[in-house]
Amino acid sequence: MDGLDLLKKDWKKREGNIPQLSYDEIYKMLLKRSSSIVKWIFVISILEFLFWALITIFWADHEYWAEMERIHLKEFTVVTYVINYGITFFFIYCFYKNYRRISSTDSVAKLIKNILRTRKTVKYYIGYILISTALITLIYTYFFMNYHASNTVVEDVEKYSFTPLQWLMFAGIMLGGLAVFLGIIWIFYRVIYGILLRRLNRNYKELKKLEV
Amino acid sequence: MDKELEHQFVKNLEKHQNIAHKICRIYTNDQDSHNDLFQEITIQLWKAYPKFRGEAKFSTWMYRVALNTAITLYRKKKRSIKTQDFDTVDFKIKAEEYDDETEQQLKVMYSAIQELNDIEKALVFLYLEDKNYRDISETLGITEVNARVKMNRVKTKLKNILNP
Repeated sequence: MDGLDLLKKDWKKREGNIPQLSYDEIYKMLLKRSSSIVKWIFVISILEFLFWALITIFWADHEYWAEMERIHLKEFTVVTYVINYGITFFFIYCFYKNYRRISSTDSVAKLIKNILRTRKTVKYYIGYILISTALITLIYTYFFMNYHASNTVVEDVEKYSFTPLQWLMFAGIMLGGLAVFLGIIWIFYRVIYGILLRRLNRNYKELKKLEV
Repeated sequence: MDKELEHQFVKNLEKHQNIAHKICRIYTNDQDSHNDLFQEITIQLWKAYPKFRGEAKFSTWMYRVALNTAITLYRKKKRSIKTQDFDTVDFKIKAEEYDDETEQQLKVMYSAIQELNDIEKALVFLYLEDKNYRDISETLGITEVNARVKMNRVKTKLKNILNP
């Protein structure tokens, strides 16, 4: 007999030996809480949104606004805040819409795709945060230096000005520092994604391997 | 109303619980994981139940939700006890029913299944459950051709393990 036929026969034979749960045992399970991956992804994503939203709120204390006023960047800051919150809410809306689409009655491939899409929204959000943080930091640095350069009176200008090489070094250190900071945050997210989604990605790839 | 729905659901699941047990058997190695997965399947079925309108048979619908739970939704908990022999878990068959060679063959087959990846396990499971390629392709969300090719590969893989 073919090995697989034998297996199938045995499989059917074992059907009668499966220990059965009672009505009450099953009923009790309905009251337990789910620990599915979707729930984890939902909680982690909400924490990420909250974390970045709160950080901007706590960052901007009185002193911060006073400093912005002094270097004439208050309006600019208010505008960036409004845009930033608008975009954040847009991402949260997309995230929620994708999340609602997840259904365990879909096919395996569709379910995985929808979960990955939900997570992708958060990934784009993080990407947006990193890029906008980089841009805004550069803009602020420029204005800040510009302000100090034009408002500080020094007797011996020579002594306090940078040579081109020094400017280059300064810019290099600034950009390098920024890149390292953003890079660390990016790696941190890659690790979280890697751990959370490894199995989903692997299974999705496996399913789609032969599809054209 | 809710009570009625609950009662109806538990009755249905009680009747068809073998489907979930068999999936747990394919996807877990020890009794605790088996119970965990069974519980998660129950919760997912119950969550999806309001959307079940009886268009399909309960069992057909259950295959899909339960497999989705095993492959995608269920998070394996880290356990200190590692693999246990597949057939020693809870489905003991009396040894005298088979001759030694057959018994050995089956043992090898079952442990080979444990080595397959999640998707291959689903294919074997649906094959053992006598599902046709249309059902298989719909459950997994792949084309029928793809399902056939994948199934043939898994069969070859298992045959090779059995007759090296």
